[in-house]
Amino acid sequence: MNFETKEFTVSEIVVINLPARVAAETSEELKKFIKELVERKNYKLVMNLSQTSFMDSSGLGALVSKIAVTRSNQGDVRLANPREYIRNLLELTHLDQIIKIYPSVKEAVNSFEVKS
Amino acid sequence: MRLSEEASQFHYLQPDYDRPVLEIPAGFEQRVKIKLKQLYDEEACEKWYPELARICKVYYAYKSSQMISWDQKFDPANRFDQEDVILITYGDLIHQEGEMPLHTMRVICHRYFHDVFNTLHILPFYPYSSDRGFAVLDFEEVDPHLGTWEDILDLKKEFKLMFDGVLNHVSSKNKWFQEFLNQNPDYLDFFTVFSTHETISPDHLKLIVRPRTSDILSVFSTLNGRRLVWTTFSADQIDLNYNNPEVLIKMVEILLTYIRRGADMIRLDAVTYLWEELGTSCAHLEQNHLTIQLFRDILNLVAPHVALITETNVPHQDNIKYFGDGSNEAQKVYNFALPPLVLHAFQNADASILTAWASDLSPISDQATYFNFLDSHDGIGVMAVKDILSPQEIEKMALRVLEHGGYISYKDNSDGTKSPYELNITWYSAINNEDADETQELQINRYIASRSVALVLIGVPGIYFHGLLGSKNDAELVIEQKSTRSINRKNIEKTELIKALENTASTTSQVTYNLMQLIKIRIKEKAFHPNAAQRVLNLSRHLFSVLRISTDGDEQILTIVNITAEEQSIKISLPNHQLSFRRCVDLIHHKAYVVRDISLEITFRPYQVIWLKCHNEN
Repeated sequence: MNFETKEFTVSEIVVINLPARVAAETSEELKKFIKELVERKNYKLVMNLSQTSFMDSSGLGALVSKIAVTRSNQGDVRLANPREYIRNLLELTHLDQIIKIYPSVKEAVNSFEVKS
Repeated sequence: MRLSEEASQFHYLQPDYDRPVLEIPAGFEQRVKIKLKQLYDEEACEKWYPELARICKVYYAYKSSQMISWDQKFDPANRFDQEDVILITYGDLIHQEGEMPLHTMRVICHRYFHDVFNTLHILPFYPYSSDRGFAVLDFEEVDPHLGTWEDILDLKKEFKLMFDGVLNHVSSKNKWFQEFLNQNPDYLDFFTVFSTHETISPDHLKLIVRPRTSDILSVFSTLNGRRLVWTTFSADQIDLNYNNPEVLIKMVEILLTYIRRGADMIRLDAVTYLWEELGTSCAHLEQNHLTIQLFRDILNLVAPHVALITETNVPHQDNIKYFGDGSNEAQKVYNFALPPLVLHAFQNADASILTAWASDLSPISDQATYFNFLDSHDGIGVMAVKDILSPQEIEKMALRVLEHGGYISYKDNSDGTKSPYELNITWYSAINNEDADETQELQINRYIASRSVALVLIGVPGIYFHGLLGSKNDAELVIEQKSTRSINRKNIEKTELIKALENTASTTSQVTYNLMQLIKIRIKEKAFHPNAAQRVLNLSRHLFSVLRISTDGDEQILTIVNITAEEQSIKISLPNHQLSFRRCVDLIHHKAYVVRDISLEITFRPYQVIWLKCHNEN
């Protein structure tokens, strides 16, 4: 699977548009995709969850699979527009306490430009 | 020391009042009355001391004459030895269709583990309503889904047993709380109750330290209307009100029942939060210590072989206060700082902080020692290191746990912020990243190296069942059970377990047998006695090294572990580290080393563990 991305070259932010399902069949590829981005020194990542209606534990794991590396390089992984189901998952796993969540991609992107 | 099989039948099913009743020494009465006065007042002391004395006499009447004689010969200074290694498990962790889980546990432990572990900590096995046993419905029964008291006694034939004393709270379905809801006058004061939220001022609320972010007060409808009840952990776990002496008395009765039923050790669960007092942190108050000291007085009188162990995930210096003066409070304290410091060392390939902290660990007394664990049914607590690691280091460690597929649990701070309380992940997944491009051998070696740290320090080691097996995270169970702690609590099918243990190529088999190999060496060496002297050597930030010296001074074992994925070579100048021996033999690899001039040269493979038994003759 290819993940559609949008790169903001000036601010080095990459927005990754996630598919409807982020589960066992896609999580490994997503992890690999994020790993490659980080290896290319893309440390500011926005996960656009607007199209994602289902996610399992492997998908959650993929979202944070490089969070320590990004943060130690002045970057972060931020989430945009998660649906209620995903919000509940994030709350249940306490990930909502550590990952910044924004109502839109624009706000997530702006958060990097303002704060980082 | 092992309580013999015979001793497992050392309590009668009915009290024997035909023989003389327990004579209570004056010293006991004096000690207990002082504490009752401090906890309550003169009037309460005079009212409730006779009841405590009666309960002690009743317990004594259950003891067989052999048990009385055995306890009279018991020397508290010989409570621990190097054979003490504790296996921590849920009673139903292993499942076999058609078998009661406690029976299945006995079969597995007998077949694989009885010559390695001498003590079994069976996590709460009482009927419960939530939190996998820690919301107790009935303190004095075995959950019928697990087995019976006879199954517990069967386990005691091969193991010393550690029971949980879940003394801080009861299930909301517990009969005492149900009677409170019925507004039975006998139970109105069993819980801490408020009429409105406003009764607790915002300033007092801010001071309260607790490991959850849920509301401290939970709303219940009673016969006489709505009431707000103190719930430190969850709305299903109702805190008992120890300001009421009757609650204390009930709990003493329950502890003594556990001893009648076979407990050799009692884990005082969540004892940090036992007493509540508005205007304080409501955590590890002086009253908690007095209560434990009172329990200790009672056990010293009627069951001196039984040890108390406190579970307090609080900063290290507060944690070790539960030893009291070394002879009057807990005999064992969970060494909560150890897991995060070992994890920190392995994550960063740098043992400096672990070495500095361990250098300050010294024997407590001949009657008390540390309980060295790396994993348990809960997560890796980080409260104990909040004054040892910086907030940035703790956050970095927590983020690495997320990267390894784990989760973080938070607690409320008094300033309204939240901070990590524990890291929810199996120890194997914390130490190893499944996605890393590494061999299975390297990951197993890293794992065994990390576990070796808890096996060499002063204290008694304990290993959680999933840690013994090297289990990986079960993140799906977290979502299914809506609890991040479930990541480390998966039940295992007996047939699958046996298959994994007997498949020598499996990670489970290699982890388990390598770990058991280390334990089998440890339990034979008197230099690994829980209170044998210890000196931590600062050899290199890449190596963690501990010298243990037997209590008689005859034997020395120098343990060194390479905490990095790189080969490490070192030349140890013996005089520089106040070491003196001519040759040594690695007990693990059976390799001899000879001191040349005054130095010992060793090259370590990645994550290699070496335990050198030192000799002075050539």
